[in-house]
Amino acid sequence: MSTPVTGLSLGLVVCGRCRATLRAAAGHARCPRCGARLHARKPHSIATTAALLITAALLYIPANLLPVMHTHTFFSDEDDTIMSGVISLAQQGSWPIAILVFFASIVVPLLKLLALGEIVIAVSRKSLRNAQQRSRLLRIVEFVGRWSMLDVFAVSILVALVQIQSLAIVDVRPGALAFAAVVVLTMLAAQSFDERLLWDANTRD
Amino acid sequence: MSSVIVCHACDLAHRLDEIAPVARVRCVRCRAELYRTSAATLDTAIALAASALVLFVLANAYPLVALKVNGATRVATLTGAALGLYNQGYATMAVLVMFTAILVPLAQILAFLYALVPLRFGKRAPAQRTLFRLLAALRPWAMAEVFILASLVAMVKLAAEAEVTPRIALGAYGLLMFTLTALGSITPTEQLWQWIERRHA
Repeated sequence: MSTPVTGLSLGLVVCGRCRATLRAAAGHARCPRCGARLHARKPHSIATTAALLITAALLYIPANLLPVMHTHTFFSDEDDTIMSGVISLAQQGSWPIAILVFFASIVVPLLKLLALGEIVIAVSRKSLRNAQQRSRLLRIVEFVGRWSMLDVFAVSILVALVQIQSLAIVDVRPGALAFAAVVVLTMLAAQSFDERLLWDANTRD
Repeated sequence: MSSVIVCHACDLAHRLDEIAPVARVRCVRCRAELYRTSAATLDTAIALAASALVLFVLANAYPLVALKVNGATRVATLTGAALGLYNQGYATMAVLVMFTAILVPLAQILAFLYALVPLRFGKRAPAQRTLFRLLAALRPWAMAEVFILASLVAMVKLAAEAEVTPRIALGAYGLLMFTLTALGSITPTEQLWQWIERRHA
């Protein structure tokens, strides 16, 4: 296969915001169309993504072990973790919702951490063969990532709703904060990763 | 006239000889969307943004869900969901909820109206470039659809113990979600810039 012709080899640069193709030789610091800063590659992409990812991975532990919510009623005092919330939905018989929350809160964050981790390690080792698959994975991760906010929103609505002294009180617990941080950090990690790095190694082969 | 478009995702250069007025072109190597324009007119986009604004006001003015226990009714509003977190000492989370569920959708609606209405009359709003850039940056952080689903989850969780009913704002917010999605899909970044360039050519 002949070497692919890239923007880099032609001296062209794509604006990260408005995606206009521009001549790098013109020496624009900013995109003439939208005014965004121009970079041939996002600066320090791997380091930024890795740092955000490691932070997210560390916070993933308290996010799952600590309770996210506390329910206090006449009859009981209950701490709910992310997982116990899913289990109680299932026990209640709300299977579709239980499965939904299981995916959004447990599968998706884990998938994001593993997938982005694998991609960052692969790129930093410059041992790339599966750029196609990795780029598909990266896009899936970017697409589903936001859905993990589900539990954060659900807790916020429950807290707002259930504050009648006589009935029950729902309190937020620190696990929710760690969980929200994991969601935001992994979103930022996916955004800071420059997908072109996946293909750069390929071009050099 | 042929032009060169470089893929933003994999940096492959493509030569496009002629692009149809309404087109969707994918990168031959990584399948990323290289270029997309829609058949929608500025008027359609403005109409959707205006509807979104009305729905946004409704979604904020009325309660989302009501909870009825022992004859007492308690309602939760959109801002109440963020304030509840704040009152419990979780200000960071309150800001996050406020930002993703309320402020970003509002900023999107206002930015669209502010930039597109003058454009409709052939004028250029001040700071239009910055706003369009902001719109592109905000896109991943608008989470109306996630919030709607979360409301349903919260309702199901409570349904076992109390009577929960959806209220007007939940419907309005649901419609807002569809309106914003439609607005987003008819205004790909390339389309926004073409509207500007055509008006000022």
